[in-house]
Amino acid sequence: MPAMLLHDLIGYLEQLLGGAVITVELAVSGYVLALSVGVTWALLRQTRNRVARAIVLGVWRVYASIFMSVPSVLVLFLFFFGGGTLVGALCGLVGLKARVDVSPFVAGLAALTIVQGAYSAEVVAGAIRNVPRGQFEAARALGIRPYQAWWYVILPQVARLALPGLVNIWVSVLKDTSLVALAGLNELVARSRTAAGATKEPFLFFIAAALFFIVFSSVTLKLSSRLERRLDRGTARPVAAGRGA
Amino acid sequence: MTFDLALALHSLPVLMHGLIVTIALAACVLVLGMMISIPMALARTSRHKPIAWAAAAYVLFFRGTPAMILLFFVYFGFGQVFGARDGFLGALFSNAFLCAVIGFALNHSSYVTEIVRGGLQSVPRGLVEAAAALGIEPRDVFLRIRLPLAIRYGLKAYQNDVILLTKATAVVSIITVVDLTGAANAVFYDTYDPFTPLLTAAVFYWVLINAIRVGLSRLDAWLNVHLAADERRDLAIQIRTEGLAPALPAGQLGEAAE
Amino acid sequence: MSVVANEIADERPIAVQIQGVDKWFGSFQALRQIDLDVHKGEKIVICGPSGSGKSTLIRCINRLERHDRGTVVVNGIELSDSARAILDVRREVGMVFQQFNLFPHLTILENCMLAPRLALSLSRAKAEALAMRYLARVHVAEQASKYPAQLSGGQQQRVAVARALCMEPRIMLFDEPTSSLDPELIKEVLEVMEELAADGMTMICVTHEMGFARRVADRCAFMDQGQIVEIAAAKPFFEAPRSPRLRAFLAQILH
Repeated sequence: MPAMLLHDLIGYLEQLLGGAVITVELAVSGYVLALSVGVTWALLRQTRNRVARAIVLGVWRVYASIFMSVPSVLVLFLFFFGGGTLVGALCGLVGLKARVDVSPFVAGLAALTIVQGAYSAEVVAGAIRNVPRGQFEAARALGIRPYQAWWYVILPQVARLALPGLVNIWVSVLKDTSLVALAGLNELVARSRTAAGATKEPFLFFIAAALFFIVFSSVTLKLSSRLERRLDRGTARPVAAGRGA
Repeated sequence: MTFDLALALHSLPVLMHGLIVTIALAACVLVLGMMISIPMALARTSRHKPIAWAAAAYVLFFRGTPAMILLFFVYFGFGQVFGARDGFLGALFSNAFLCAVIGFALNHSSYVTEIVRGGLQSVPRGLVEAAAALGIEPRDVFLRIRLPLAIRYGLKAYQNDVILLTKATAVVSIITVVDLTGAANAVFYDTYDPFTPLLTAAVFYWVLINAIRVGLSRLDAWLNVHLAADERRDLAIQIRTEGLAPALPAGQLGEAAE
Repeated sequence: MSVVANEIADERPIAVQIQGVDKWFGSFQALRQIDLDVHKGEKIVICGPSGSGKSTLIRCINRLERHDRGTVVVNGIELSDSARAILDVRREVGMVFQQFNLFPHLTILENCMLAPRLALSLSRAKAEALAMRYLARVHVAEQASKYPAQLSGGQQQRVAVARALCMEPRIMLFDEPTSSLDPELIKEVLEVMEELAADGMTMICVTHEMGFARRVADRCAFMDQGQIVEIAAAKPFFEAPRSPRLRAFLAQILH
């Protein structure tokens, strides 16, 4: 019996690994999409055209207000339970007939994208705001065209300033994938619960799942620190206060 | 895909009850979290290596773990071990609400510990030296200078965390606590109408979160009266002396300018 | 080794006695064999180039820095690792910092009242009266209910002086008190310091304000590379400097 029990445990741990793969797939795709949405919003918010600006800011305020004040789980449920009907209605508007079933993965992806996209937009827009005015002015004074100035001067600095915030969002996305278990996605956390229930070994599997998240986010944090240091080269370091004057 | 107003009104009592559970849960977690975090932040910066190391491990573990796993951990894990027994622990871990409080508090406290620690480290050394030079004892230096300033420095981050926590409580139905989201789901299961209850719940959350935002903004203005520029300072002094919230157009309490 | 010129025998009791003090920061020696006696009521100005150890020296007097060798005795209390001794010394010694270091979350009045209430256990009423008295003495009484951020630099530094005085110390340390001030604000702070000096306070000042030193100091000390190179009464210090390093320093400063 002990041998079989061990066999079971290993089997379930392998299951967890499979779940981890799904978790990572969802996290990576969600993050990439969220980042794209965020950068797009942030760039749109920089427009100087008065009319466009008014429209963009108006829509942004509504979008941000909603998706930063409503739990991701609720957004997930709305997409999951109502998504099919929503798509059907939209297609109906265009004259198509569609009966779509939204899978948990897709619903999760949509929810992550839309919610974390708002937070990403804030991080990137904030980073843009924090690039010193003088950088824009110097680029203009040098006669560099606006689009080149953005690409060569501004965006690299935005990347440096946005990095910490974007890394935090990555960790959020990674952890929020667990929410999709509530829509039935059989990812790591869901599988850990199944395994714990089946083997009556809750601590083993929950700690294993927890360790996965911890190790994964620690590794990414370490890598991002290195990236941050590399991006920071060339920036002024505050002069160390002299001792003993 | 229509919004059924009649259903929405009919399900209000159920949703309100869920809302109260949500608020109660968040409040308990905030209190418990603060009780854990201040000592933990001090432990984190302790000169005794084992204590500092243990605190760092605490933060690492509970910050990196999704709340859901922690809920499972407490409810299924400790619940299984202690739940069937008699006595205090048995009562504690067989109560789903209390398990939820503990689970979220473990997560939340790890963030707040870092916020408090960051706040403490942001207090300029010169201020601590000045207090010491005045002959004030270390304990009073901590309570009257370092901690109050740490709280003010960390307030913005703490506000964000409170809001994130309130939103995070939405998953608690996974361990049978019927909060606002759980209530909305219950209505959905009964009526097969997903949109009405979920959208109504969304509106409730929106109102709740924004009420928290505004409330914390006022607290921020009150605490930071010494920093504010003139119009905001006058407002803050007014709030402090009158204790009332005067009607304000939106955006006047320091929302990020575009 | 110090070059001492024209030392007039000083019969007053010794307020601060520093003997054979060495201090290291890691492998860097910040103070070398410092010997200094400061008499009660004496005003000493310490000057010298950056990194010469001036700040480190006065910070050793109230234990903001810990001396590694030698002894520091303040009003009869020897500074050691004893927390009691440190607290006692700090209640005898007041300090004014270059960066003011006023507590930003407290009003001016509260800034001055805090230490008397906590360290001297004064009642609120007594502490308030005390604070108002010293705030009036530095001419900022009308700012009492404001916050530090609402005051100019000169006003803030004067409040810092009042705050230190509220502990009624017998010795006042000044660590480059005017170095962070805009030029037009320096005068008001120096005036307060001169009034304090005239009232008989024992003062040890690290400063670049040579005019002030000439007017106020009993003795001046020149420090370089962790040592007191020359110490003399103010007049001979400025008019007949003995050591070449001091001569070079004065030439630079007084161009």
